[in-house]
Parts: sequence; C-alpha cells; structure tokens
Amino acid sequence: MIYELTHNTRYSYTHLISLSHHLMHLKPRDCPHQKCVSHSLSISPTPSNLNSHLDYFGNPSTFAIVETIHQEFSVTSKSTVNLQAQIIPEPNETPAWEIVRNLCRGEQIGQGLDASEFIYNSPLIQRSENFSDYAAPSFKPRQSLLEAVAHLTSRIHHDFTFDPTATTVATPLQEVFKSRRGVCQDFAQLEIACLRSMGLAARYVSGYLETVPPPGKRRLVGADASHAWVSFYCPGLGWIDVDPTNNLFPSSKHITIAWGRDYSDVSPIRGVILGNGNHTLKVGVDVVALPETS
Amino acid sequence: MPSPSFSAPTGPDQLRFHPSPWPVFNEAYASSDEVRPAWQRLFGSLSRLGPEELALRTDNASRIIREHGITYNVYGDPKGIDRPWEVDVIPFIISPQDWKVLEAGVIQRARLLNKLLADIYGPQKLLRNGFLPPSLVFSNPNFLRPAHGIPVPDSIYIHLHAFDLVRSPGGQWWVSEDRTQAPSGSGYALENRIVLSRVLPDEFRASHVQRLASFFNSQRETLRRLAPKNRDNPLIVLFTPGPHNETYFEHAYLARYLGFTLVEPGDLTVRDSCLFLKTLEGLQQVDVMVRRVEDNFCDPLELNPDSYLGVPGLLQAARSGNVAIANALGSGLGETPAFFGFLPGLCKHLLGEPIRLPSVGTWWCGHGEDQKHVIDNLDSLVIKSAFASYQQKPVIGGQLSKRERERLVSSIQKRPYDFVAQEQVALSYAPVLAQSHIDFRPVVLRVYVSAGKNGYMVMPGGLTRVAVSPTTPVLSMQGGGTTKDTWVLSNAPVRNISLLKAPWVHTAAHRVAAEIPSRVADNLFWLGRYTERLEDTVRLLRCVLRRISSESSADPGSETQLLAHLLKSMNLYPENLSESFGFDEFRDYLLSLVFNLKTRGSLQHQLQGIRQIASSVRDRFSLDTWRILNQLQLDARARAGKLPMVATMNLLNTLIVDLSAFSGMEMENMTRGHGWRFLDLGRRLERASNLAGLVKTGFWDKNEVEVMLEPLLEVADSVMTYRRRYFAQVEPTAVLDLLLLDATNPRSLAFQLRILKEHLAQLPTEQNGRRPAGEIDRLNKVDDFLHKLDLRTFFTQQGLGKLRSKSNPLTTMQHELGGISEDLTHRYFTHSVRQVNG
Repeated sequence: MIYELTHNTRYSYTHLISLSHHLMHLKPRDCPHQKCVSHSLSISPTPSNLNSHLDYFGNPSTFAIVETIHQEFSVTSKSTVNLQAQIIPEPNETPAWEIVRNLCRGEQIGQGLDASEFIYNSPLIQRSENFSDYAAPSFKPRQSLLEAVAHLTSRIHHDFTFDPTATTVATPLQEVFKSRRGVCQDFAQLEIACLRSMGLAARYVSGYLETVPPPGKRRLVGADASHAWVSFYCPGLGWIDVDPTNNLFPSSKHITIAWGRDYSDVSPIRGVILGNGNHTLKVGVDVVALPETS
Repeated sequence: MPSPSFSAPTGPDQLRFHPSPWPVFNEAYASSDEVRPAWQRLFGSLSRLGPEELALRTDNASRIIREHGITYNVYGDPKGIDRPWEVDVIPFIISPQDWKVLEAGVIQRARLLNKLLADIYGPQKLLRNGFLPPSLVFSNPNFLRPAHGIPVPDSIYIHLHAFDLVRSPGGQWWVSEDRTQAPSGSGYALENRIVLSRVLPDEFRASHVQRLASFFNSQRETLRRLAPKNRDNPLIVLFTPGPHNETYFEHAYLARYLGFTLVEPGDLTVRDSCLFLKTLEGLQQVDVMVRRVEDNFCDPLELNPDSYLGVPGLLQAARSGNVAIANALGSGLGETPAFFGFLPGLCKHLLGEPIRLPSVGTWWCGHGEDQKHVIDNLDSLVIKSAFASYQQKPVIGGQLSKRERERLVSSIQKRPYDFVAQEQVALSYAPVLAQSHIDFRPVVLRVYVSAGKNGYMVMPGGLTRVAVSPTTPVLSMQGGGTTKDTWVLSNAPVRNISLLKAPWVHTAAHRVAAEIPSRVADNLFWLGRYTERLEDTVRLLRCVLRRISSESSADPGSETQLLAHLLKSMNLYPENLSESFGFDEFRDYLLSLVFNLKTRGSLQHQLQGIRQIASSVRDRFSLDTWRILNQLQLDARARAGKLPMVATMNLLNTLIVDLSAFSGMEMENMTRGHGWRFLDLGRRLERASNLAGLVKTGFWDKNEVEVMLEPLLEVADSVMTYRRRYFAQVEPTAVLDLLLLDATNPRSLAFQLRILKEHLAQLPTEQNGRRPAGEIDRLNKVDDFLHKLDLRTFFTQQGLGKLRSKSNPLTTMQHELGGISEDLTHRYFTHSVRQVNG
C-alpha cells in the first residue's frame, strides 16, 4: 500500500521572534515493512541553515535555524511511503512472558543491543510498582507474551478514556494513570511503563494512522493528528507493534515516523526561540492511501 | 633531620605535635618519632620559624587571598556570599618516589577511561562483547545519546581529567572519584602555589618543588591544537555558567591566565552549524570551547530543555565538526562509580596491561553476588548512586535507623543497578597548622591529567583538601574545610619558570581587543557609571557632613535645610524625613546613607551593585585593578563605632582614595579597546549628568547661591583649580565657567562632552554599518545648549527663573545624556529572553 502523508505544523507567537533553532522528526524512517519513497519539507520563514542526520535511534532528523524576524513558524512535511502489512504472530509463536523477562534481566538482548536500550527508565517514563501492580493480572504464569500484552492492551483501552482536553505533552505519566484520561501519546507511554515495570523491553513509536473508516465501521481515533503506539520486544521475532488507543496489533494502517524511549526522543518538532511571550500551535495531518495501480 | 620540637611538646612557645589516631596512614610520620624523609626539611624550617612567625605568615596568606579576591561560592547561602578561599601554610608534600607511582597510575587510568568513552560513544563493542553490562550505560543519566557518534578530534574525550585520591592505612593510593567532564580546582591549585611560594619563599626554593607553569602551558597548546581550522590563531572560549557558579572565581582566573575569552551562555549563538561569540563588532566564530557547564545543560534543544545555561544548537555545531569542545560532550559518563569494579578487567582488555592504581573498594549491586555482599555488610559501607547522580546523596550504612535501613535494602533489591557501595576509607592524616601547634587532619588529594595528541601530562602538584575536623569522613568544598598547596619534590634542582609570565605571548594578540562579548561591554559600561556615581556621592556626602560637623559653623543646624537641598542633585533628598527636620535627624539620615544597605541610594547599596557587576567581568581586570576593587569593598566594611563622625569622614576619605586608584588604573593600565571605551563612556556620562544636576541644584535659590558656591566647587573636585586660577573671592560666574565651560578642567561638563564625542566616534559599527548616529545627535544637542548658556544672565533673576522652569537647559542636558545611555544599551547590549517549545 502506498500512502501520501501531509503534516502541517504552525506556531503563532504573540511577539516577534528574531532567532529560532529547531529539531524535527518528520521524515518516516525505513523499516522492514516500510519504505519512505519520497519526502520534502517546506519551512516558513526559510531557514538560514538546514541539516539532516540520523539520530541515535536511527531516525532521520532535521536541524534548522531561522534568522528572519517572524511571528509565525510553519512546517509542511510531505512524504510518500510504501507500506507492507505487518504479520501478526500467533500467540503460541511467542514464548512465555517470564522467559522473556528473565532474558531481559540478562541485559544483553536483541540483535546487537537494540532491545537493551528499552528496559530502563527514560526521561518521561519511570518504572514503578503502580504500573506493575496494574499490569500483573494480565501476566498470568506461563502465559504467552503476545497474549499477555494483548490482554494488557485491551484493559488499558477499556479503563482509560480518550480525552484530548485532559492532558498536555507535559502531563506526568502518574497523573495520567490517576485520572485515567488522555490521548494516544499517554496511553502508549502508560503501556510502555507497564511493560518495563514488568521487566520487559518496550519502545515508543510515533507515526500516522490512515484516517478513512472502512464502510460501516466507526472511524479510528487518532485521525488528523500524529499518532503514537508501542512496540515490544519478543526474542526470535523481534519487535511487535501494539496500539493501546485502538486496542489492536497494527497491520497495514500504521505508518512509522520514528521510535525512541519515549515522546521526548522523537517529538515531531522541538524548538528554542529567542523572544518573549506565548505561542499557539496548530497541527494538521492528512493520510491518503493511493489507489493500487498495477 | 627531624626537629625534636615536633615530636615532643616542649612548652607553649614551641609547636607541639598531636599524634593522629592510629592505624591511619600519617603522611608526615613513619612512626611517632620518625619524620618521613620528604617532610624533614620542611619540618626543620617550620620549627625554626616558630609558632609566632607562622601565625604571621598565615595572616599574610589570608591577606594575599583577600587581595586576589580568591573565593568559592556556597550554594544556598542566603546572602549569596563568596566565601574566601582557605589555604594552610603547611604544604602537602609528595616524595619523588611516591609521585612516580602516582603519575604512572593516573596516566594509565586517564587513557583507560578515554578508551572506554570512545567505545561507548562509538561502536559499543564493550557492551556487545560483555565487558560492561549495558545497564551501566543505558540507564545512566550521564550517557548523552545525542552525543553518540559526534566526531571527536584525535578520539580524545577527556582533555582534563581530575582524580580524587585517598591514601589507605597501608600507604597505598586509591582513586575515590574521577572527574571527567569539567573538573574544577586546577586554578585554585595554581593560586595556592602563588600564595605559598610567597609566604614560604625560602622553604619553597630550597625544597626542589616541581613547578606548575609548564603544565598549564602544555594544556593551552593542546587546546589550541584542537581547533578544527584557524589553528594559528583560534578563538578559544572558556564557557562558564556565570558568576553564581561555585567555582566562578576559577573560571575567570583561568581564562585570564590562559588567555581565553570568558563567556556566559548569552554570549554565544549557533548559526550555520557554527558556534559564534556575540561581540560588539558582530559575530566571531569560536574554534574551541573549554566548558565548565555540565553535559546535560549545554544545549536546550537536544539535551535538557529546561536549561538556561546552554546554547541551542551546540550539539549540531559539534556534530558538524566546526567547533571542538573540551571535555567532549558526554564525557561526564566517565564519572560513573559503578565502572570502578570493571576497570581492572577493562584495563587488561583495552590496554593489555594490569591496572596500576586501584579504586576504593566498590561493589555494584547490579551484580548478584555484590548485592548480597552489600546488604550483608551495610553497616560498614557508604551507599551511593551508581551513576554519579547529585540527586542521591551518599549515605553511611552504619548511621541509618532500622527503618531507613529497611527502606534502603528494599530500594536496592528493586533497582539494584542504581546503587553502588564503597568501603569507608580511613583517610590518611597530614599536618595542618592550628593556633599554636600542629594538628593532623584527614586529606584527599586531587591531581590533574591533561590529554593531548602528543600524550598525557600530569600537573606536578594538585589540590589537597583537608577535612574540617579530625573525624569528618567525607570531604567536599561545599562542606567547608581548608586546602593545601601540594609540593611534588624533585631529586634535582628545578628550573625556575615564572608562573606569572605567560610563555606563549608570541601568539598573535591582535584579536583579543576585538573579542569583547557584548555582555562584557554592557557590564563595563555600568561599572563605569556605578563607580562614578559612587565617587560623586562620596564627595557630596563628605562635603555635607563636613559642614554640619565643623566648628566654622556657629550653629550647625542653620545650614541643614540648605545642605539637604544639595542632596537633590543626586536624588538623595531624604523623602522620609519630617518637614522641618532638625540637626540630629539629618545627621542620622546622612550616616544611614553611608552605612545602611537598606537606605535607598546609600553607599553600601551602591557598593553591592558594584560588587555584583565587577565580579562578572573580573577576567577583564589586571590583578592590581582587582586588588583595588577588593580593597574598596573591604574598606567599606568599616563600622560607625563610638565616634561616628570621625569614622565616617575617615571612611569617605579612604573611599575617595580607593576610587581614584581604580580610575587611575583605568587610565594607565587598560588597553584602549572597546572594553575600556565603554567603561569610560559610562563614567563620563554619569559625571556629566551629575554635574548638570549639581549646578542646577546649587543655583536654585538666588539668595543662597553665595553659600552654595564653595560646596559646588568641592563636590566637583575643583577647589584647587579655582584657587589657582582666580585667587579671588568665590564668585558665581567664575564658578559656572569653571564647572561648565572650561574644557581644560577634567571635571567640567565641556570636558566630559569632548571625551564622549571622541568615544562615540570610535565605537564599532555593527555588521550592517550602523553608526551610533542618534547618540551623536543627542550629544551635539547637549553641546549646543551648553554653549548657548549666557553665564552673565545665568545668575540674574530672569536666568534663575528659567532654571526653575521646564525649559531649564540643564534639565534638557540631563535628559539627553540619559537618552544616550539608553540608545547605547539598545544598540549594543540588548539580549532577549529565551524559551523552549515542546
């Protein structure tokens, strides 16, 4: 499936800004089931300096400096991505979750070291007993990892209410846990916190979700915004995505941009501006599946 | 030979020996009556000098420290006070044999930790191949992911590495801590040396002490060679968090000593993937940054977003290879205590040799067996963060209550890899000079290794820190305690290299003048204004006080109202005084203007402002100038005492002398760069404005003009000039001419305007070619007003009436002068506030 993605971001400032530095994660990364065919960024005002590099986690990232005096900063990212359906493993293909946990204790897991990065605390996700206590009922003895995670995912989906007014990017995870409300980013980080508190490796995935509802079915939450979900590590199979916001294992509608330990590693746009005052932010995302041509 | 007076108390006049508790290692004594060979010569000298002379030398040392303004900031001190540095007159002595062992040991460890960092910030083979548990890196807050893969010149991450060393009861040196990101103290070590070589000159010469200068010289060369380009003449900055940092004194000191530009976060900006310094003449590219800002705070864009100490984009500049940073970003990882246990194995693996210098026994709880050992032996261990985290204070197992202990054990079991435990070392004891005897205290030695392309060099000396009391187990500078100069003895006589003469003066000095950060110019400008305002206030107060207290006045109260009026010229008129205040009330107010910090515009208040602003530009002043500024502050601490008028007059006279010394230094000692120009601009603007105010106030009331003339001349420091020129009775027109129009009188308004004009013409044009046109227009306007003044009509009823009206030319002049100050601020100094978007 080919997707065309448009991601608009606009910051409006109450005062004039004379200088700003930005770091962006907007280009979809390549991974086994996904290839970014084309990508372009248009930025206004035109940056005086634009540089791209792969970050520590292998995500494409772009650094920009704007030296023109401005009161509005906008970025439009357009990408074309070729996505193949991810195969969701059968539960019995995955080992019992305790085996995985014990492997993680041995610290050196994953091909090379890539899973070892994702079992510890990260800037926005601190493991705690709250989370392991909450997760525990899903992790029955000798249960397969996939079933355990699916169970946990459905519980989060059931127990937590999607509410864009409840949280901001700055809301601490423990508060989300207490209020039981939030958005995809919160649910993803919450599930990661549960998995890591159980001793498993999990990472944060930022991306997009196709917005067109299948006939007769309700529209998936997360449309017209960036989306976020979770990927957990399963020895032998590698990383398996799971989306707690929609209670499913992503197959062919989730387009990955970047992954990291939590949101702070992969936030789409980070900036430091020289100037006073406040800002408002407007984001628009469009995901269009191109008709198959053959 | 050991002096007998040390080993046995022989009376109150002699230095008495207090033995240290055994079985710790005594640095100076091999046994209770045998002085170690390295200490014998010194003990001989100390004994000959005797306690009284040593007390004098201690006073001398304190005086040098005060004069040099050597301080250490204490965090959380409500007054934000700089604590004077303390140095013991007895140095710490290291024998040539001991030093050889230490030197080889620290060099090896510096190489080892550097290789360790190069691997972790590169291929991570040590983690893949099981030489180091990944959790030690991946859950380590000092592992900076964005710094991974950034090119580092010559693969050197740690350019300056400091080691805290302790000596075990068996006499073996152990490393207790590594400082690998921005180690402090080398500048203090240098200052200690300067102090000790002055207070014990003969002993210093006779003892073959190894000199420190060559170390700093080589360090400077090493840093210079780091420059990605422009190696002949690189711009090297020393990046400080600012005057509130605990070791700011040292940042300023080292910057001056090494010839680097001292910069604060607001002085720097990243453009076009390069790092730039904001100077008066525009942006100058920085080639090398020596940083004293901690890893995580260096770049709010890619690291801690809450940091106000960082430069957004710094990582990008480093990633692009356009600036070299020493120590490399991320090098704080090398301070991880949990690495200790792995170092012997890593040394064999990475260097192919056994480790020379052991660490203090350290158990990392992430290892099952070690965890058990720690919990079983908690009472005898110090438990701390595995990751050099400052949030988690070390605790001594034996000092915990039952409950605290249970809580700790449970935390260890839950997050074992977050904890290490270290054995409590019985520190070695070294002699310190107490009142009339020699005492023994625990010591920790900090030594420094500088790493460059051409190898490693150890500073032949170090910073020895002494515990506050004989029983304090853990040392930190924040906790107080004195320090020692560290004498590494040499077998042969030592070549004398002057510490004060920098041997690298041949490198082109012509850039220096241009690289005044805008912030520095701003501070110098205000320092000029503040010191001039202080001087003018002192003169005004002295004049008024002398009059109300002098015998010449039959009724000291009669002039009170009149003199109080004069205070208006400096906005010091007593607002809170009753309508018809009396003599006593007025005197008390004047005294509070001198001594009370809380009185608006008081001398103490002004001095506080000067102190703050001067401390942020101290690298710009010579030692002598700094000494004067220090003396000014010290003198001002005088108390009113029982004879307040006498004390006050003495104080005011002293302050005038100090301030004259400062302005003398400014004229004779500072290079005529933009720094000096802004300092003098500030001074001239302030003086011109105060003078206009003074004349305006003095000529307010026609009937009182005669009485006011003498005070006017006195406050404007022009009495002598007047007498020489006119001999005659003081007469208004002549006074006005001298104070306003006489361009040969350096205190006249015309003189200030002439100098201001010269300065403005020389100011840098910014990149876009803007000249300070507005300022020059304003100045011309003042000049016009001044020359249109008709002194003959000035004193007539009509002229004085005009003085009281809104169109008073003197008021207009003051207004325009204030406008020049504002325009300059806008044009050259404005810095905006910064914020971070999610």
